[in-house]
Amino acid sequence: MTSVRQLLEGKACQVWYVTPSSSVQEALKLMAEKRIGAVVVVEGGKIVGIFSERDFARQAISGRITMHTPVREIMVSPVYYVTPDQTVEDCMALMTQHRFRHLPVLEGEQLIGIISIGDVVKRLLVEKDAEIKSLEDYIWVNMI
Amino acid sequence: MAIVKNLLDNKGRQVWSVTPQTPLRETLKLMAEKNIGAVLVLDEGKIVGIFSERDYARYAASRESLLLDEPVGNFMTRSVYYVSPQHTVEECMALMTAKHIRHLPVLEGDQLVGVISIGDVVKQLLEEKEITIQSLENYIRGRTHTI
Repeated sequence: MTSVRQLLEGKACQVWYVTPSSSVQEALKLMAEKRIGAVVVVEGGKIVGIFSERDFARQAISGRITMHTPVREIMVSPVYYVTPDQTVEDCMALMTQHRFRHLPVLEGEQLIGIISIGDVVKRLLVEKDAEIKSLEDYIWVNMI
Repeated sequence: MAIVKNLLDNKGRQVWSVTPQTPLRETLKLMAEKNIGAVLVLDEGKIVGIFSERDYARYAASRESLLLDEPVGNFMTRSVYYVSPQHTVEECMALMTAKHIRHLPVLEGDQLVGVISIGDVVKQLLEEKEITIQSLENYIRGRTHTI
């Protein structure tokens, strides 16, 4: 069973973030540049929110925001997260239940990465075949 | 092994669409209302593109504007990957991963019969994982029921 820590191993360590006073435009530019779908919002070294493509798409039609609106007015909080010892299944369950696509990974107080639904699916492509194959090897051995 | 048809049986075959002339404001409202992340763009019943939250976020960033009065046809992705109801869930995973996309229209011949998302795939896998591993483990421990 793959852990979140193992999932992070395949990724770059850098976690991109903005501050609550960063503008929507600045956040979107960072996301475009780094090819990511969400960005955490950090203040005083702590995560205070998360901002995703979906949040932008949903809020843009509310009439309440512009590209210059500070992210603090549009970010989502509190932020769900996982720890490195949780499993890929835990991530799948959280993402499905709450309908989000990104999960920050916290080790104690430290933000050590973000897992996306794409990372999960990519990993499952490999894992799916491996797990079922190894259980079937086991059955085969027992039957002999 | 689950196929796309199984996913559609679970989620339904409803397809939401707009035309290339539909303003972004209306397009985004439809997406918010139906709680979807992408919408197909049809011109006289033919698929001419797909528009997602990602397309919107990327264009708004580069144009530095909310673009709400602009027609979706200016921002849609014109190369639309799709699958058939017989494709396996694994093939969908591979396609989504390779092309970095989260939605796949489902076509049966010429007919649009649904759209599947990466969320639908993960939901299916969550259910499947438990069933497959559990049934194999039951077999190993001799707990299978005979019919």
